[in-house]
Amino acid sequence: MAGLYVKPGNKERGWNDPPQFSYGLQTQAGGPKRTPLTKRVAAPQDGSPRVPTSETSPGAPPMGPPPLSSKASRPPFVGSCPPSSMEPTNFPVVESEILLEDVLKPLERALEDCRGHTKKQVCDDISRRLALLQEQWAGGKLSMPVKKRMALLVQELSSHQWDAADDIHRSLMVDHVTEVSQWMVGVKRLIAEKRSLSSEEAANEEKSVATAEQNQTMPGIQHDP
Amino acid sequence: MVMLYGRKSQVDYRAKLWACNFCFQRNQFPPAYAGISEVNQPAELMPQFSTVEYVIQRGAQSPLIFLYVVDTCLEEDDLQALKESLQMSLSLLPPDALVGLITFGRMVQVHELSCEGISKSYVFRGTKDLTAKQIQDMLGLTKPAVPVHPARPAQPQEHPSISSRFLQPIHKIDMNLTDLLGELQRDPWPVPQGKRPLRSTGVALSIAVGLLEGTFPNTGARIMLFIGGPPTQGPGMVVGDELKVPIRSWHDIEKDNARFMKKATKHYEMLANRAAANGHCVDIYACALDQTGLLEMKCCTNLTGGHMVMGDSFNTSLFKQTFQRIFSKDFNGNFRMAFGATLEVKTSRELKVAGAIGPCVSLNVKGPCVSENELGVGGTSQWKICGLDPTSTLGIYFEVVNQHNAPIPQGGRGAIQFVTHYQHSSTQRRIRVTTIARNWADAQSQLKHIEAAFDQEAAAVLMARLGVFRAESEEGPDVLRWLDRQLIRLCQKFGQYTKEDPASFRLSDSFSLYPQFMFHLRRSPFLQVFNNSPDESSYYRHHFARQDLTQSLIMIQPILYSYSFHGPPEPVLLDSSSILADRILLMDTFFQIVIYLGETIAQWQKAGYQDMPEYENFKHLLQAPLDDAQEILHTRFPMPRYINTEHGGSQARFLLSKVNPSQTHNNLYAWGQETGAPILTDDVSLQVFMDHLKKLAVSSAC
Repeated sequence: MAGLYVKPGNKERGWNDPPQFSYGLQTQAGGPKRTPLTKRVAAPQDGSPRVPTSETSPGAPPMGPPPLSSKASRPPFVGSCPPSSMEPTNFPVVESEILLEDVLKPLERALEDCRGHTKKQVCDDISRRLALLQEQWAGGKLSMPVKKRMALLVQELSSHQWDAADDIHRSLMVDHVTEVSQWMVGVKRLIAEKRSLSSEEAANEEKSVATAEQNQTMPGIQHDP
Repeated sequence: MVMLYGRKSQVDYRAKLWACNFCFQRNQFPPAYAGISEVNQPAELMPQFSTVEYVIQRGAQSPLIFLYVVDTCLEEDDLQALKESLQMSLSLLPPDALVGLITFGRMVQVHELSCEGISKSYVFRGTKDLTAKQIQDMLGLTKPAVPVHPARPAQPQEHPSISSRFLQPIHKIDMNLTDLLGELQRDPWPVPQGKRPLRSTGVALSIAVGLLEGTFPNTGARIMLFIGGPPTQGPGMVVGDELKVPIRSWHDIEKDNARFMKKATKHYEMLANRAAANGHCVDIYACALDQTGLLEMKCCTNLTGGHMVMGDSFNTSLFKQTFQRIFSKDFNGNFRMAFGATLEVKTSRELKVAGAIGPCVSLNVKGPCVSENELGVGGTSQWKICGLDPTSTLGIYFEVVNQHNAPIPQGGRGAIQFVTHYQHSSTQRRIRVTTIARNWADAQSQLKHIEAAFDQEAAAVLMARLGVFRAESEEGPDVLRWLDRQLIRLCQKFGQYTKEDPASFRLSDSFSLYPQFMFHLRRSPFLQVFNNSPDESSYYRHHFARQDLTQSLIMIQPILYSYSFHGPPEPVLLDSSSILADRILLMDTFFQIVIYLGETIAQWQKAGYQDMPEYENFKHLLQAPLDDAQEILHTRFPMPRYINTEHGGSQARFLLSKVNPSQTHNNLYAWGQETGAPILTDDVSLQVFMDHLKKLAVSSAC
């Protein structure tokens, strides 16, 4: 499951750089709007500027503190929990270590499955990238979110959930491109090859079931009454 | 064959025939409509379905094509960030899309994409322009003469395999292209002290246009040009390589002191027209601290419907997220982009088409509904829009013509039909038809009806587009004078007043916002070039000429909302009187989101009240505009700048320059009210503007 977060922009390289949304947040369909900011106020026809509704005494004296929050006066706007706030902690306090083997073994097995079906050069290329993944993981170069999402990706791949696995690969490319770009395209190709292999196998199975059925009942031949 | 007809056409359900309101011919319904009857009407006749879209089932579906043209004269960090964004995009593109790569600096390299592991490229000098044919010859794209053997049948077209050396499908090439991108280096030519890098953008773009012209003419394609500075050599150069000679400013242009401008603009216009003729759109992603030549290159995006993105560096969230959003998908999993569109407008006889303003080119189709008076891109009833997205909007201008001065029959209706053919991102071809009909009203006796039906928001945007269109070729003050004259005439016609008595002047509710829109338009960066570079003005105008109504209005008159303890967030007048010590303001100009803390709010924040549990509502107050801003940031394309400032902050100038300066240092003591912050400016205020307007409207002299 891709994370939902917003991180600040790069203030050093771009003045007023806007905050950056994670892939998960970006692809989320917008919910009901908090405050649709689309209204305008017409200027008064007689020309004088409006007197604002609040009373601000002229020549502002040193101000006191803001109004106290009390149980009676709720804040006037509905404060739905914005995504930028802390995510609720559903995970156990101690996070289990994600083992490299748990991620790499299934990927290597998937590659083996594809060997008969996919060109040798492509398999070698994928294999090279898996080796790179192993190297970076073992070398401590990958962050925890990347490892967690890879574990999820591998789970989806093993369960033949191609679209889900693909989506996780995309979320990693968008949110963590610096860490994953060198080898992720190999994982992407592996998902695609497994998907096409699996649909070929399903088609072959259907064909063999159909021929089996055909052998049992001869179409167009009447049974003797 | 697709049937297209207006809602009020005559239908014969028995014979399955219909009569067209525009050409008066009788036509047969297609077989799919065999079941229609009075009680089972086709959707096209129902009033709520003014727009119907048809999907064309037949015909080959060509893949989407993306050609990346990448400047390598970037700083190391920038190049790395750009490379990563491009690698990321390969994961966002569909597997059967075709992709190609051209890199450039002093030389231009066209990369042959192969799966074999050895990468080859064709290198061109960046100083010499080449014709389309020369480019195609040098890249080996022209097919050799095939000797005809009488014994052998004619071989099928070898076209796809020739072109595919440079444009390959993602599913075959993604791994190799990822590596190729990863290995890209900065342009190796050393840049001496005091010089700019030699950047051959003009030739690079020329080669890109020629490559697509020769391989995939008349197919939807995007050329995506990524630049980190101005073109400094070859055709299309915008500035020389000496840093001490700055790139042209508006002042230089006014004084006719921009030596490369005319030639460069011509070069890019030639390329833009060729790309548009082939249905290819050109995007420009320009990230640099100084100008990059958007003024000269803007025709590439504006004529083809391509995107223009302007940022400070490729290593910013503004670029990265804007770029990601190009590949965003709708709820059907399709890209929000379309290609190769043609728009045709048909009118009933009392109306003629004067022209269109937007990201299009003319198809030069004459006919009975084409007016002789041109507004925008005129002299045609059909236009081509090579790149479309969900917000693409054209402004279309019509003229009412009475045949031989005959009065328009009472109760008569005029009708207009818009027919758009386009290539959907799923590669299907589609046709979208919108048909509308409106009653005619007499300007003398039915003025109230016309008033009641007046859409002041649409009118403001259409007038603004006309004004900005004129500003490209006329002097600034002339455009303002023209805009003012139109406004005065409107007030004279629709205002209620006694002659020579300005104080009596009133406009009905239908016009309540219109003069304000015109006031803010006159001060906007679309018509005021002072304080912006030529590139910035081009950037703002580019977006203004294509956005939908809501966004265009935000650009003309920014939205301002006020947050306080006194109630829910409320819209307030875009006026200096709205700037108060105990308020937080959120301003949306489309290009910037500004959050401004009033003086007292800022002091409370500095004192840290938001961290104290008993002042939790203050914490909520501070958070509310941030959350609302985030909602805007979530969807807007391109990503706006995000400015978080407070009273006295230097960034507060973004707010202060937009609000109506009803209080300035000139009139502060004349008002007698000391609310709001005075603005240090000599600009005319809305009040003064309205006073002048009323005087002129009621005067018999005008």
